[in-house]
Amino acid sequence: MLLSGSVAIKAANPDGPAFFEAKIRPLFIEHCQKCHGEKKQEGGLRLDTKAGWQKGGDHGPVIVPGDPDKSRLIQAVRRKDKDLQMPPKRALGSEEVAALEQWVKLGAPDPREGTPAVTAGVDPAAVRKHWAFQPLTHPQPPAPKPNAWSQQPLDRFVFTRLQQQGLAPNPPADPRALIRRMTFDLTGLPPPPEEIEAFERAYSPIGNRQSAIANAIDRLLASPAYGERWGRHWLDVARYADTAGDGADYPVREAVKYRDWVVNAFNADQPFNEFIRDQIAGDILAAQGPADQYARRITATGFLAVGKRYGYKPSPDYQHLDFADAIDSVGRSLLGLSLGCARCHDHKYDPVSAADYYSLYGIFQSTKWAFPGGEEQKRPSDFPPLVSREEAARLDKLKSAELARLDAALAKLKADRVALDNKSIAGGPDLGFELQTIGQPPTAPWLSEGPNKVLAEAQSPFAHIHPVGTRGVRVGTGKANNGVRYVFARPLKAAPGKQMHFTVDFRTVAPTDKSGAYRFYLGRGVIASLAVEVSVTATEIALRNGTKWEVLRQLQPGSWHTLRLTLDPAKKTYSGAVGVTGDLTTFAGKPLGANWDGVADTFICDAIGHVSGPAPERDLDNLGLQETPFAEPGTGPVDVPTAPPADLAERLKQLDADIVAATKLRDAEAAKALYPVAYGVSEDKPVNARIQLRGEPEKLGDEAPRRFLEVLGGDKLPAGSTNSGRLELANWLTRPSNPLTARVFVNRVWQWHFGQGLVPTPSDFGLRGEPPTHPELLDWLTSEFIASGWSVKALHRLIMRSQTYQLASDDHAANLKQDPANVWLWRHARRPLDAESIRDSMLAVSGRLNRAVPGPHPFPDMATWRFTIHNPFFAVYDSDHRSLYLMQQRNRRHPFLALFDAADPNLSIAQRLPTTTPTQTLYLMNSPFVQQQAESFARRLLAESADDTQRIRLAFALAHGRVPSNAEVSDALAFLTAYRTKLTALEKPPTNDAELAWSGLARVLLTSNAFLYVD
Amino acid sequence: MNSAFSSRREFLRRASGGFGALAFAGLCHETQAASTDPLAPRSGHFPAKADRVIFLYSTGGVSQVDTFDYKPQLIRDHGKAVTASRWLNKPGKFDRFLIKSRWGFKQYGQSGTWVSDLFPHIGGVIDDVCVLNAMHCDSDGHDKATLAAHVGTAQAIRPSAGAWVSYGLGTENRNLPSFMVLAPAAPYAGAQTWGSDFLPACHQGTHVIPGKEPLPNLKPNTPAAELQAMELGLLGKLNRAHLEQRAADEALDARIRSFETAFGMQREAPDAFDLSRETDATLKLYGLTRGANTGFGWQCLVARRLAERGVRFLELIDVGSSGNWDSHGNMADHERLAKAIDQPIAALIADLKQRGMLERTLLVWTSEFGRTPFHQQANHLGREHHNLVFSSWMAGGGVKGGLAYGKSDEHGILPAECAVHTHDLHATMLHLLGLDHERLTYRYAGRDFRLTDVAGEVVHPIIA
Repeated sequence: MLLSGSVAIKAANPDGPAFFEAKIRPLFIEHCQKCHGEKKQEGGLRLDTKAGWQKGGDHGPVIVPGDPDKSRLIQAVRRKDKDLQMPPKRALGSEEVAALEQWVKLGAPDPREGTPAVTAGVDPAAVRKHWAFQPLTHPQPPAPKPNAWSQQPLDRFVFTRLQQQGLAPNPPADPRALIRRMTFDLTGLPPPPEEIEAFERAYSPIGNRQSAIANAIDRLLASPAYGERWGRHWLDVARYADTAGDGADYPVREAVKYRDWVVNAFNADQPFNEFIRDQIAGDILAAQGPADQYARRITATGFLAVGKRYGYKPSPDYQHLDFADAIDSVGRSLLGLSLGCARCHDHKYDPVSAADYYSLYGIFQSTKWAFPGGEEQKRPSDFPPLVSREEAARLDKLKSAELARLDAALAKLKADRVALDNKSIAGGPDLGFELQTIGQPPTAPWLSEGPNKVLAEAQSPFAHIHPVGTRGVRVGTGKANNGVRYVFARPLKAAPGKQMHFTVDFRTVAPTDKSGAYRFYLGRGVIASLAVEVSVTATEIALRNGTKWEVLRQLQPGSWHTLRLTLDPAKKTYSGAVGVTGDLTTFAGKPLGANWDGVADTFICDAIGHVSGPAPERDLDNLGLQETPFAEPGTGPVDVPTAPPADLAERLKQLDADIVAATKLRDAEAAKALYPVAYGVSEDKPVNARIQLRGEPEKLGDEAPRRFLEVLGGDKLPAGSTNSGRLELANWLTRPSNPLTARVFVNRVWQWHFGQGLVPTPSDFGLRGEPPTHPELLDWLTSEFIASGWSVKALHRLIMRSQTYQLASDDHAANLKQDPANVWLWRHARRPLDAESIRDSMLAVSGRLNRAVPGPHPFPDMATWRFTIHNPFFAVYDSDHRSLYLMQQRNRRHPFLALFDAADPNLSIAQRLPTTTPTQTLYLMNSPFVQQQAESFARRLLAESADDTQRIRLAFALAHGRVPSNAEVSDALAFLTAYRTKLTALEKPPTNDAELAWSGLARVLLTSNAFLYVD
Repeated sequence: MNSAFSSRREFLRRASGGFGALAFAGLCHETQAASTDPLAPRSGHFPAKADRVIFLYSTGGVSQVDTFDYKPQLIRDHGKAVTASRWLNKPGKFDRFLIKSRWGFKQYGQSGTWVSDLFPHIGGVIDDVCVLNAMHCDSDGHDKATLAAHVGTAQAIRPSAGAWVSYGLGTENRNLPSFMVLAPAAPYAGAQTWGSDFLPACHQGTHVIPGKEPLPNLKPNTPAAELQAMELGLLGKLNRAHLEQRAADEALDARIRSFETAFGMQREAPDAFDLSRETDATLKLYGLTRGANTGFGWQCLVARRLAERGVRFLELIDVGSSGNWDSHGNMADHERLAKAIDQPIAALIADLKQRGMLERTLLVWTSEFGRTPFHQQANHLGREHHNLVFSSWMAGGGVKGGLAYGKSDEHGILPAECAVHTHDLHATMLHLLGLDHERLTYRYAGRDFRLTDVAGEVVHPIIA
């Protein structure tokens, strides 16, 4: 790296260091080191040490001692290159530039010793000692006294800590509080009154408590609602949404399959290590069988695909951002490591290097990602089939055969039509000129603006396109935008192997004093997508060649010329000829419009050409656009059937109808879904990524071979591996020696039960995360979890059967003072219902909850998808199903879910952070949804009993899971009476005053804290 | 903790008569907030020059050379070819044709700041405005640049500037949200532009959609107002009994208090949106007809009313992600869009000034980027995206008025001096509010995040 010459030159200049001190050091400090110093290293460069500039920046060395002209630093301060100008905001003075030049010429003498301090503050010793990277242990539970707390190992860990802190645990919760807690905890729904009563009965005989609790846990774990509740927890971590999240936010119809897979996996108690493996590499595992697992495993890879997407089409342009999401999500959700920081530089706090990041990047780059649809490619692609690869191939083959058959039928119909109407070039013979009225501006299908007229004098003498007719159009001198336009009824579209042929005859009407140019435009729409531009003055014709006009030949004013163009979309060029019979100027290889989208349907002649000024009058005739070449000038009139068949019009009409029908049939076949697909990933060509310096994809560094994180073993792919590496990644993540994956998940489960994890930063187990409050307990639980075969339900049982879980949530003055945040678990923390539980519980209590799993979301038909960032997809679908099943939109959140702090699907969410805002409360007070639930709840109460006191007791049981006090009953009765009195005293008393009063009471119960919080 | 208890007890005492008719008075201004309340008003890192922000956003990319960046050389060189060194954010050599503005420019005010004929009203108040003519940002795509202008980065979702300000300073009026967005439609990137992301959700922007019902759920469903009062009375009684056994739980207390605030909002928010008591002269100033409840004039006047009521951060967006300033086809669209905001913005500045509020209210106007002063086609009527240089402005709130800061090059293609990046704009905005952009951080995923990511410098020369 070092230039050998520097030492010698430096030796020859003993005064160099003094020069440096006098001129250069102050200059560096004042102008450079703010961005190229200890704190920041813009462009990877630092100038505060000699070693810094010797090492150079992202583009290599910046100083070539002795050679200012070759030194990038000097080039930058000279500011000759627009892309290389330093300092960025204010230029150095010329004396300063000269000083730098001289210093470099002197050999860049620099007495500053020392190497740049390591900026990444990762201390290897601290990493080695960090608790989360230690191998898992299976600690012996301590034996605290008294013995009442020694039955369960879990409690022994907790109680020992409480004793150490001098805290006394709360007594157990009363059975009503406990069953309400367990039911919300495992199902997200309130317990029905009969279940509360049954639990109370089972619980009351002393000695039966543990079995009553165990039975209740088993019953709840067996309920389908369990998977709906715990699946939703996982979906928070998995940043689940039903839309893609790019600017246009395309709907993803298949996302729900992943959602339902998660729910089912929890209900089936799929071992958690398999659950992870399926999500990372389900497609590879699926191919290994058994067949009945195939579709499920493919679906599981939705975990990777379902993150926020950035691309407009399947292209590498923004894939670094898609991968950033995937890598960060895998890191935080599974390993509790924020890998995302290593995208731009080695992680500053955790032992994750940019090489680690890009080794995982390579694994994802070797993966084919389902594309959900986007601004540019508005249709999904690469969704993996849920049938085996062979079956998919067989069905694909059948489909392409059928498509080929339909295409052939269609082609034949079209050929028949051409044969019948042998002038069937786009638009018909002569584009209908002969039907226009002489002396008038051309009318439909033409558009005319300005002084244009159909005239007999404007008839072209050429006959190689159409037979010589009786009229053409004279386009007068008008404004620049004036002219004539023709929209071809059947646009030509670029297709492999096909060319497009265009022709027009024209002359400038002589004599003329107009020196401007007129233009021929061919492309799609009104300059929407330009294919070719030709510009003509009285004396010359020019072609658009890239950004320049190229004059092609001289023209004779008053003389007719014919122009022929052949567009070759595949080569992105066009060729052609212009002139008169016997004197044609040909041209070829001219570039088509760079942004042309391959559709030609519009011809325009206006006056925006290569020479400004008013354009002369000109005559146009014999336009044509077709897929076959036109004849050469001078080859004589084209054949016209002398006597067209009498029923020509009828037969053409019939053929047209047939063509429409056949096209429909073909399109329907093309759109047919042959087999179900998933929003997931599959294998692609294996590649290693190169490190992107500072996260910029254009600035590439060294290759980062695909491998696992260094701190977790750094395992490489097996030699000669032809896979993406996802299967290996899945195994590395879930192998028992990995100290993170199981610990992270067990901690999450603990947090979802208790509101706070043993590690309070559930997605950050790194050096900046919080350490565990109960490290032995976390390890013991994790070992038990692994020993149970990674059974999540076994983990629930272990936790919920503990006394720790069953503690009352009551206040305790002394404990509150010492441990207000309940770090040492002296009570069960009271928790607010989350967004889904609020909505589901209201629906459940009102009797409106639909417990079925709904079908797909009612997205608009894919055939209509034209979403762009200007016109993004947005919908809110009403539903009485559980909130888990609401359509979760990424860019514009579901209003209810957003209001009540549901997970933001743009990120992996470790923990809901509940807030209490007045806009939420307004929703509770006044929203139509709460009103509807209150009314239904009221009708339910009125129907269930005829006795008001009975109704009130039922209302409290349903909404709060408790028996109201006598005072509360009489308060409620008084409320109802007063409410009805008030209603009947209104100017227009309503007839349903009873229902309204009960709705009022229902709203009170549904919005009170006893409803919104769980003890 | 003590203060929380005392405020709770105070509340219990105050509301002990039930949520009856007599309890309604005096609930509007919450002065004593619990210490844990994330929205409690706080002072910043150093004395502030501004108390609040009105962020005016024009969606789609406003052309700098047609609005605030007067380029005589561009006019002279109209039609000439020029070689651009970047195009669509990629370096290279691109041959383009210079295109002059179709609008004239005039010097306005004592300062003689140049403003085009698109903004004559803003020209009239230009001595209060500091134009930034060397703005630049990193992205030339709408959604990414829109995110950058709002959340400080184009590459990841982060909290919006308004959420950061709410997080940093809290709010003075708990009867209204701290961060409100008045917009007929979402800009590019949707609601992410006003999201709170990893900050507590109470800091997210509340979207107010101009129209009959700007904020939902403000109207009780009960057939009479007294009936709602009865419901709230019973609810209060139940909640207090519930709280008595759980006295230490501040969240329960917070929810009880939120009913007071919501009740206050029911009254105060409609009042803030009710322009009926504004004088004819004021309505005329904003170009409003009596009874109008949409349009940028409505947004500006309501913004003034919300600012008066203590809302910390207001964002006004003129148009959504279609039919906006994205004039690729024909710059003529700029005329319609400028007309819609010119008079209302000038009215807002004048109105704030005459009420003595301008000094402490920072106005920021920007778009996601500018537009090219050149085009691939010599006579093209439109302009493309241009993020390398564009114009924004600031006014009031401690900013020097009558200043044009920063210069683009002779044709308005690249910054020439005193370039201001979006990060710098954010840093300056926070600075004026008394917040150090490097110290306003939030720990998330093991890292301290800030609005300005790892960049941003306060633009001191524009600070009065």
